[in-house]
Amino acid sequence: MEHEYIIAHADKSVLKISGLEVKGLNTKQLEQILADKLHTFVRVIGVTGENIEMDVYDIEPDQVRKNEQGLIESIVLTEGITVTDLTKITCSDKIVEVDYDSIPAEPISDCKRERWMKRQ
Amino acid sequence: MKSVYILPTGDEIKSGIVLDLDAPEIIGQIVKAYPEAEVTRLCPLLDIEDTIFEKIKEVAEVHSPSLIILIGGSGGGHRFSKTLGKDFTHSALERYLDEFASHEIYGKNGHMWSKLVCGKKGETLIINVPGPYVEAKAACEAFLNSYTAGKAIDEISLDMANAVLAQYPVGAAETVQAKK
Repeated sequence: MEHEYIIAHADKSVLKISGLEVKGLNTKQLEQILADKLHTFVRVIGVTGENIEMDVYDIEPDQVRKNEQGLIESIVLTEGITVTDLTKITCSDKIVEVDYDSIPAEPISDCKRERWMKRQ
Repeated sequence: MKSVYILPTGDEIKSGIVLDLDAPEIIGQIVKAYPEAEVTRLCPLLDIEDTIFEKIKEVAEVHSPSLIILIGGSGGGHRFSKTLGKDFTHSALERYLDEFASHEIYGKNGHMWSKLVCGKKGETLIINVPGPYVEAKAACEAFLNSYTAGKAIDEISLDMANAVLAQYPVGAAETVQAKK
């Protein structure tokens, strides 16, 4: 049976909206609203009752940071989201590429945030 | 395809914090492709590997359906970020299935974005699809196309992985190595 690794060569940042009230979130609608606003792909990857984490691709994080208020205003109409006075948006730096050949064959520590492992 | 069981996973789905948009999409696709299929959507499961494992086992052994589709929990999740949910559908499937194919999609930062597993237990075919709507939709479409074309499990798994990969703005995807 086939078991393969595939590497996706895409720039990605993590956009986090915090200070929300979330119940019955329509992720498809939220992704579409933000994709239209940011002109890129957006993918919801984690949701709690107060926070939403999304992957945003091929975008400069500063573009998000400078437009925080506009983005908050754009998500107000999303089904399942209530914006509060505490709502804010943060965006991480782009992911850092890891050289596949430099990755050890076995984990070098018991760190839970493990990176991939080369397995034979 | 006679009967299909759909197993959504995720604490946020079970609690209603996030609407389950994937299951209705998948049900629609199956009914369109196989009008006579009986499709059952089960209660969403919490992100607990043993819970998922036991439910797969129960459904396969009690109902012996043609197909089981697990939704969500396909990434690295908690293994890479403490703020993300726990992703266990692929590991539960690997524990349960005797024979399966898998494709793991990694970002260039070394984080696993998605692991798709396709395998059989007895006469039941079992797959997982990612949670994000566009990826679940694409993976299910690819599965149905490949399955209907009579492809082998290896080929079905590859087609599903390529369909998910196509949802990323990826200029190039590189197959690094076969593990087994």
